[in-house]
Amino acid sequence: MQKSFNIWLLTSLVISIGVLIPIATVFFSFFEETSNYYEILKDTFLVEYIVNSFVLLISVLSLTFLIGTASAYFVSFYKFPFCDFFKWALILSFAVPPYIYAYSLTAFFENYGTLFSILTNLFGEANYNKNIPKFDGVIGSILSLSFSLYAYVYILARASFLYQSQNLIDLGRNLGFSKFKSFYFLILPAARPAIVAGLSLVAMETLAEFGAVDFFSINTLTTGIYNSWITFDDLAFSNRLSFFLLIFIFALFIIENFSRKNAKYHLNNRGGFKQKQKTQLSGKKAFFVFIFCFSILFLSFIFPLSQMFYWTIKFPENLYDLKILTLTLNTVYLVILSSLVLIVFSLVSNYGNRVSKNKMLNLLSTLSISGYAIPGVILAVAFITFIGWFDDNIVKAFGFSSIKKIFIGSVLGLVLVYFVRFYSLAFNGIKSGYEKINISVDESSYLLGYSKKKTFLNIHVPFLRNSLLFVGILVSLEIVRELPITLILRPFNFETFATTAYISASEDLLEAAAVPSLFLILIATIFIMLTSKYILRENEQ
Amino acid sequence: MSNNFLDVKNVNFRIGGKTKVKDVSFSIQNEGDIVCLLGPSGIGKTTILRTIAGLENIEKGSIDLKGKTLSSKNIHIEPEYRNISLAFQENSLFPHYSVEKNILIGAEKNKEKKDKKISFKEIVKLLDIEKILNKFPHQISAGEAQRASLARSLISKPDLLLLDEPLSNVDQSFKEEIQVRLKKILNKLKISTIIVTHDSYEAFYLGSKCGIILNQKLKQFDDPYKVYHFPNSIEVVNFLNRGILIPATIIDENTLENDDLGLIKGNFIQHFSIGSKVQLLLQPEDLEHDDSSNFKLDVVDRKFRGTNFIYTLKTHNNNLIPVLVHTHHHEQHEINDKFGVKKPITLEHIVCFK
Repeated sequence: MQKSFNIWLLTSLVISIGVLIPIATVFFSFFEETSNYYEILKDTFLVEYIVNSFVLLISVLSLTFLIGTASAYFVSFYKFPFCDFFKWALILSFAVPPYIYAYSLTAFFENYGTLFSILTNLFGEANYNKNIPKFDGVIGSILSLSFSLYAYVYILARASFLYQSQNLIDLGRNLGFSKFKSFYFLILPAARPAIVAGLSLVAMETLAEFGAVDFFSINTLTTGIYNSWITFDDLAFSNRLSFFLLIFIFALFIIENFSRKNAKYHLNNRGGFKQKQKTQLSGKKAFFVFIFCFSILFLSFIFPLSQMFYWTIKFPENLYDLKILTLTLNTVYLVILSSLVLIVFSLVSNYGNRVSKNKMLNLLSTLSISGYAIPGVILAVAFITFIGWFDDNIVKAFGFSSIKKIFIGSVLGLVLVYFVRFYSLAFNGIKSGYEKINISVDESSYLLGYSKKKTFLNIHVPFLRNSLLFVGILVSLEIVRELPITLILRPFNFETFATTAYISASEDLLEAAAVPSLFLILIATIFIMLTSKYILRENEQ
Repeated sequence: MSNNFLDVKNVNFRIGGKTKVKDVSFSIQNEGDIVCLLGPSGIGKTTILRTIAGLENIEKGSIDLKGKTLSSKNIHIEPEYRNISLAFQENSLFPHYSVEKNILIGAEKNKEKKDKKISFKEIVKLLDIEKILNKFPHQISAGEAQRASLARSLISKPDLLLLDEPLSNVDQSFKEEIQVRLKKILNKLKISTIIVTHDSYEAFYLGSKCGIILNQKLKQFDDPYKVYHFPNSIEVVNFLNRGILIPATIIDENTLENDDLGLIKGNFIQHFSIGSKVQLLLQPEDLEHDDSSNFKLDVVDRKFRGTNFIYTLKTHNNNLIPVLVHTHHHEQHEINDKFGVKKPITLEHIVCFK
């Protein structure tokens, strides 16, 4: 038998290149001609876009660092009332996307809003409006983003704290360190790579955020990209702005990857590891820690959930007006279709990488998983740009009819861009499952007469069953929350909970946005509760 | 075409684009023969097994099994079509199946094959893994995983069995017993086997031929007795750590002379011209203890090896010579004692190097 051609290599190569196309489009579009809008903007808002993005970034990073690290420290090192509950409840904030948090914040603090009603009910009628703080604009965006995103820092910091050996704590005591000194000089530096990795994810999400900043009318690079395309119909300029943002994001992406690699060295599960003993807190200390964790849970999850719930009850007509069944079916349709496509292709691609050991494929895979770092707005615009170019230069050149309608404003296009956006999530999730299978297991299988296909189907797929389920739910959670891609690429009259909430909010009908938001939070909460078991178990292994 | 069962001819063994062992040739003459490959860690022993199994390609030479070329520059038969089994050093059991299911998957292969018959029960008993059959790979020790993996390989009735450090994780107390059982079963089933190990005693016991791999070369491939007693190079001597080399001059066809020990007689394995300066290999069992002898050397160290002591003696020229003495010899010596050596010195075989 002659040396055979590797079909797995080809398949993985095609998937990786496919994912890379929109990313490459942004870079190539940078050199295209733009309209006068660029000149106007350069002299007016461009600096504001950059400054606002930067202010948001620094503020959100600071706040998420404080909230995420402190809460992770308390649940990892201390026993206090309900600490096992907080351990997983603190990740529920993932169920509330920043834009829904922004709606809640506004609804609660606005003139004659929920707080006004509460105060009126408690203390009688008065002009409370002038004394109620207004959390809108930049402050509102910072709070919405921070309470929605701190869980990235919490999860990674907690994982790192969890693996810290009792030896480290004992060493601090042996050196006569106070608890604070131990934390500052020993525990925190050891967890630094994990915290940096978490903060990098927060940074990428902050720069990519569209819904909340658009709602608060904050001009950032992301809203600039959206507006230059929607309002000024200037795709080329939209891509040029994307290019600036991408450079920023890729720097963060590199930091995140670098930190993640270092983080591995801090997960000491080799010899000498001593299981950490949690300190039992009592009295004031226990009360303070409980209040801190409860406040975080309340502000990040209970508050927006209650606000949306309150409005749903207060304005029940919105519930009847909403085509809940249609929205649910649309959401479920997108979730199932996209998750299946993502899982199947990521699985095949992972296996292709595993069996082909090809350096070029490895490089392409690394590049293609950078999709998660790219804001949905950019991906959607890049996708439209690419389809437009392909249609004009290739399809029409060969005399075929336009393919734009097949891809733009269709479920197919939507699923394809979701694929690019969430490919890394699926790919890495499956990869971490694959890393638990020693390569000699595959080789044993070949030596027992199994073909590559049979090894894949009989050995890998059954073993990866839990990883696939976990990835499926995680991807579903992201798709349910996703806004800009769905908004830009959805078919006419095809709405999801996210787009319905956004449209109502942008029409200043916040009450109407409450019902779809509430449904979105509830669905996302179910997904989180299903996956939290895996997330926490994985961390504890 | 040769009639050998396995022929490895002038193969360069590579892994990850890097050549580990060059220009290797050896063969297994008859079906059922066992070959052991010895060498230090990282030298490429595992690469040789992986390549024979078909997990790595070759760019030079050829590997033929039962007269059929499996690997050459232009030919590469995939591992699943070779009927060669490799038991890996690390745990390579299928993680989501129990030990029993893992072994039964091995039994699926070649189940129609009438020869080399061994039952599941027999093999499980032989390798003493009855108690772990219902466990999953992550629930058993490394030694148990190795034995389970060995069972899976054996039951698959391969034409050629490759064992990579098969007993490296097995407890010392149990190791010898397993070695005996393994040899018995391999002989019974007539399964040709290549065993990679760094334990020379394991190799000498199990193998009908032994190969020594050093510095990217197969330095020696011979009967265990010959490898042990007649190492063919200074590198092999140093690797086996079997004695010391002392300078000597060839006097005649049966005699050589060393400044410290005087005349030494014996049969030369390799002949040198009279007057040649050579390095004589002196192994612990070569010199005889005799306190009545007038020729005495100083004891500088004494190692207790259970049945033996190995005394290290210092000569006038500060050479250190090991001498093996049975533990129960009459006059045991302490460090700094005088130790008598029987004269004249006569060796069974004289091994010298230029």
